[in-house]
Amino acid sequence: MHKRKSKRKSHALALNVLTWMVVVLTLLPILWMVLSSLRNYSDIAAGDQLSSGLPLRWENYRDMWVNVDFFTYFKNSLIVCSVTTVLATMSATCAAYALARFRFRGSNGVSVGITVTQVIPGMLFFLPLYMLYRSMGDNWGIPMLDTYHGLIFLYVALFTPASIWIMRGFFISIPRELEDAAVMDGCSRFGAFVRIVLPISAPGIIATATFIFLLAWDELFFAWVLTSSSEVQTIPVGIRLFVSQFQHRYDLMMAAATMSTLPVLIAFFACQRFFIKGLSAGAVKG
Amino acid sequence: MASVTLQHVSKQYTKDVNVINDIDLKIEDGEFIVFVGPSGCGKSTLLRMIAGLEEITEGEIYIDGVLANDLHASERGLAMVFQSYALYPHMTVERNLGFALKMAGMPKAEIAQRVTNAAEILQITHLLARKPKELSGGQRQRVAIGRAIVREPKVFLFDEPLSNLDASLRQNMRVELAKLHKELGTTMIYVTHDQVEAMTLADRIVLFNEGVVQQIGSPLDLYDNPANLFVAAFLGAPKMNLLDARLESAHAQIAELRLANGAIVSAAVNASRVSTGDIVKLGIRPEYLQLATDDDAGAVSAKVILIEHLGDQSLAYITIADAAEPLCMKLSGRCCNLKYGDTIGIIFPLEHCLLFDQAGVAFKRV
Repeated sequence: MHKRKSKRKSHALALNVLTWMVVVLTLLPILWMVLSSLRNYSDIAAGDQLSSGLPLRWENYRDMWVNVDFFTYFKNSLIVCSVTTVLATMSATCAAYALARFRFRGSNGVSVGITVTQVIPGMLFFLPLYMLYRSMGDNWGIPMLDTYHGLIFLYVALFTPASIWIMRGFFISIPRELEDAAVMDGCSRFGAFVRIVLPISAPGIIATATFIFLLAWDELFFAWVLTSSSEVQTIPVGIRLFVSQFQHRYDLMMAAATMSTLPVLIAFFACQRFFIKGLSAGAVKG
Repeated sequence: MASVTLQHVSKQYTKDVNVINDIDLKIEDGEFIVFVGPSGCGKSTLLRMIAGLEEITEGEIYIDGVLANDLHASERGLAMVFQSYALYPHMTVERNLGFALKMAGMPKAEIAQRVTNAAEILQITHLLARKPKELSGGQRQRVAIGRAIVREPKVFLFDEPLSNLDASLRQNMRVELAKLHKELGTTMIYVTHDQVEAMTLADRIVLFNEGVVQQIGSPLDLYDNPANLFVAAFLGAPKMNLLDARLESAHAQIAELRLANGAIVSAAVNASRVSTGDIVKLGIRPEYLQLATDDDAGAVSAKVILIEHLGDQSLAYITIADAAEPLCMKLSGRCCNLKYGDTIGIIFPLEHCLLFDQAGVAFKRV
């Protein structure tokens, strides 16, 4: 009995140590980034950003705003990501509900198709996509390159499939009888979806929306390829350009990185309760 | 109150999957009818077809004389209580109760009045502000019933409403449902797989197996005069004793049978439609088997293999030589005299013996 108890204690201790190691490894780069954003660039170059004796340099943020035109990139990211989030969440919700509830010809094919799109690396189709966008602008008079809607259209297509799977698991976990009860109470099938299913699915929808927002906010490759002017370029592109232009100004670079992380952190911490609940909802009953 | 009539109702999911086969049934005004059968027999599907939640492949359903096939579920004047209660988790009890009335466009004052009345009948007034997750199983069941009551429907539909409750709560709720039926007098269609619920609640039972109606009748009618082997075996606990026997003679009033051990037993049935020598099945309920006394002629010899004392009664399991299965005898009180290995004589009273042909169809009792 005593041996078993001490074995359990040492297991718990080992797990705690491992957990803290993971936490430190995860948080250390963020701490590094934040502290670097408050140091002089020569201190960073010397590797002293973690030293406690050095003063905090809040002027880095002011300098960053002046040098990087951060506000424009921030505004562009906010517009593109918010619209993407709304559209992708709406389409994922409707598609997921259809896949979860209805049996129709081709439903298996749709499910497989959604899975297959996730397997193909996005980079494989950037060239055909670029050419398509260019052709739409040149031949059809619909400008897609270097536009908000060009990016939004692509992001919605990119992030909806995974979102469908998240939402589908959530809808499957909702008992069908709730909708039957709503139909008995006078709702149409769509009315039952709107009045009963959607309110119950709010955690899943918020989790999906947060997930899409996070993905869109961090997306660099397609934003880099499909945009060329600062009126449309997003924060990841802005930071990338800044790196090219101000290679040694790590202080301003870290300030920009910290600023770009803030909305994501705020969104995540505001919605983390729904995020965790939504992602695991289908795990038990689905 | 309303009657419900089903004419040649069938349900097919695919060409080869027939879930409901040609059901004809008339449910009278104010009747409490129970659909009972094993899992997967189609009773819930039929209830959902009546409710309007499932399409009908063939046939017609009339509610209060009006053809209901194409009517939306909410236009049929029905209210349903689901197995899992189906309470809306994001609404309070009060909003759950009033939701259907709100969808119907009823004025708020009238909704409030009906909700209050239903809550008083079911003693859930103190729960109106709570959400479903804050209620116990029994409370949720009451709210589910209350949600049906407020609609003042013509017909109540119950889909295994007690199956999620523990045994003692189930018994209490059975009594509550019976009282509710007496108070409201509304037609009620109740689906269950539990024969005790069926026997205690029903005015009439419709027993299903594999989408086909096996028998319709009062609980005691099905218990005493089962139409076939399935009905005989489904109702009654412990199950009916069934033995193979050979028909020795068949008259209009009585049939004589030879058991596997050579003993002769008589049954008060008309077996004239089969021939002497045919193999038939003799059925007798455990409570009707009697211990023979010394004066009894025609007793069949049996050996005791197990005694179960249940307090108010005892179950004796006995074997008859060459019989395939042991028989069960229900004896009142505590039969301390019997023990394992005892050889006893048992009597098969002819008025309680049932007979089934090789297809499992019962012979008519006389």
